[in-house]
Amino acid sequence: MKKQPRWIILLTVSIAWLFSCFSLSAAQTTQPSDSVDQSTQEMLKELQSVPQTRSAGNPIVSSAPSTEDALAPQTPAIDWWHLIRYDFPLMLITAAAVGVAGALLGLFVLLRREALVALAIPQVVAIGAALGMRLEWNNKLLPALGVALIALIYFARSKRWNAGNWIVPSFYVAGLCLSFLLIANHGQDVEDLQRMFTGVDVAVDRKTAAIAIPVLLVVGLICALLWRRWLLLAQAPAAAELAGLRPTRWDALFLLLLTIVILLGTNALGVVMVLAMLFLPAATILPWTRRLPAAMLGGVILSLIFLAAGFYLSNTMNWPLSQSIGGAGCGALAISQLAAQFKGD
Amino acid sequence: MGDKLIEVKNAVFGYGGRPVVQVEHLELFRGQCLGIFGPNGSGKTTLVRGITGLLSPMAGQVKHELSVSTSDLRIGYLPQHRNLELHWPMTALDAASLAISARRIFGWIGIRSKDVLAMMDRLQISQFANRPFAALSGGQQQRVLLSGALAGDPTVLVLDEPTEGLDVRSTQELLDLLRQFIAEGLATMIISHEADDLVQVSREIAWLHPASDVGQASRVEIVTPQTLGEAILSAARRVV
Repeated sequence: MKKQPRWIILLTVSIAWLFSCFSLSAAQTTQPSDSVDQSTQEMLKELQSVPQTRSAGNPIVSSAPSTEDALAPQTPAIDWWHLIRYDFPLMLITAAAVGVAGALLGLFVLLRREALVALAIPQVVAIGAALGMRLEWNNKLLPALGVALIALIYFARSKRWNAGNWIVPSFYVAGLCLSFLLIANHGQDVEDLQRMFTGVDVAVDRKTAAIAIPVLLVVGLICALLWRRWLLLAQAPAAAELAGLRPTRWDALFLLLLTIVILLGTNALGVVMVLAMLFLPAATILPWTRRLPAAMLGGVILSLIFLAAGFYLSNTMNWPLSQSIGGAGCGALAISQLAAQFKGD
Repeated sequence: MGDKLIEVKNAVFGYGGRPVVQVEHLELFRGQCLGIFGPNGSGKTTLVRGITGLLSPMAGQVKHELSVSTSDLRIGYLPQHRNLELHWPMTALDAASLAISARRIFGWIGIRSKDVLAMMDRLQISQFANRPFAALSGGQQQRVLLSGALAGDPTVLVLDEPTEGLDVRSTQELLDLLRQFIAEGLATMIISHEADDLVQVSREIAWLHPASDVGQASRVEIVTPQTLGEAILSAARRVV
């Protein structure tokens, strides 16, 4: 059988994926008005009688619907420009920064086989956040950073004793347990921590965005510029040592960059979105690239596409944003992996 | 014989206070190939780390004669092609550029990629430059890595089991290439447990004899290729 050119397969994959996203949302928007039940109709009538304010819920529409509109066959059109420009600009820019940094770091996380570390760090970060909640500190970022750094140093040392394989899963479990034990019986704190893990109700304030966006972009840039260094350390650490480099220090730098991305991303947008951006774009693009620069560029583009698709699905389907991005990414990953079986190399 | 590059006198190398290998006297000259032969676990890598200055001696001294600073002695390294992680997306040119990138700030190679390409051309593998490294055969991969190690213009080239996993023809091609560069003045240290390969290219061989007691250092004996060949042959006869 003649081999299909790589770009044709990629194009087919992309079209199939976009088609599935639009099909899902179309199915949702063409639901009959019968699905609006009695209680909803009553609630809409009540809403009509009070002065209108901008909706903070999800999905957001251009104006509050009247009873007649709600009962009409069509769902009101979503004002995308309003959503992007006025309702969620900070959240979207922060998510894009997480996407860029996550896709770049995530590529090397997967290639260096450090995915388990990336999964454990958010749990460790949660211990710090829970500690901050318990001590009623305003700034949860500092204790989270402190605990993450301690864990990172311990992990780096455990690699030297060849104990990394069992230390990291232990960190994961410790984070899951200790974070919730620290705030047990504190209802609101437990709810906040759960929200951090699930990434539902994503909202980013100006202060968080002002720190997260530039730092994430700089971290992503540093990681990208050092791509030959990561390649060398993975392929020939002895050559690096003979040239006067210290592989353990470079490994520590990589883990530090990863921790910064996970910490800031988790603090701003929750664990789900950070992990989705770390793993899915890189895993989707890897079967299709021959060089690291192409993989990095492709990963960044994919992360932004996943964000756009997730945002679209979230607003049209009334789904939580982080999970919508993850769902879009998983769909693309599944198609990419399937299509990769048919490509020839 | 060319200039003396390295001299080791009464040195003991080891880790954490535990001696691994002891050397009475060893010298490396420009244009010399020193074979390092011994069974697994005898301390071959430790010896090379000690000779190259990566590991400080627990006793004795290691003298790098070329200049006062160790960094001026450029040590190239040819990794085992089988130890490379082939799931990384990289072309043959990327793999060949590893050695040069190690000595560049942030790993950027810039115009030095021309040197790598020129060396690939000399080793007649420039046609593979843009091919995925993983798609090349073992022999081609080893030549690609050798071109990269040589493009860095090393004073001493360390080769770690260079013929491991190669077929007879690829092994012979690689050894022929090495002989060419040694004749041009390159000092090399070849770590191998294949006595046949070392006998073909080395002038002297550092033969590591593991100590009979646990916790004692292996002893290094400097022998000629003929001596090693005869010793291996007589050992084989005893087994038969």
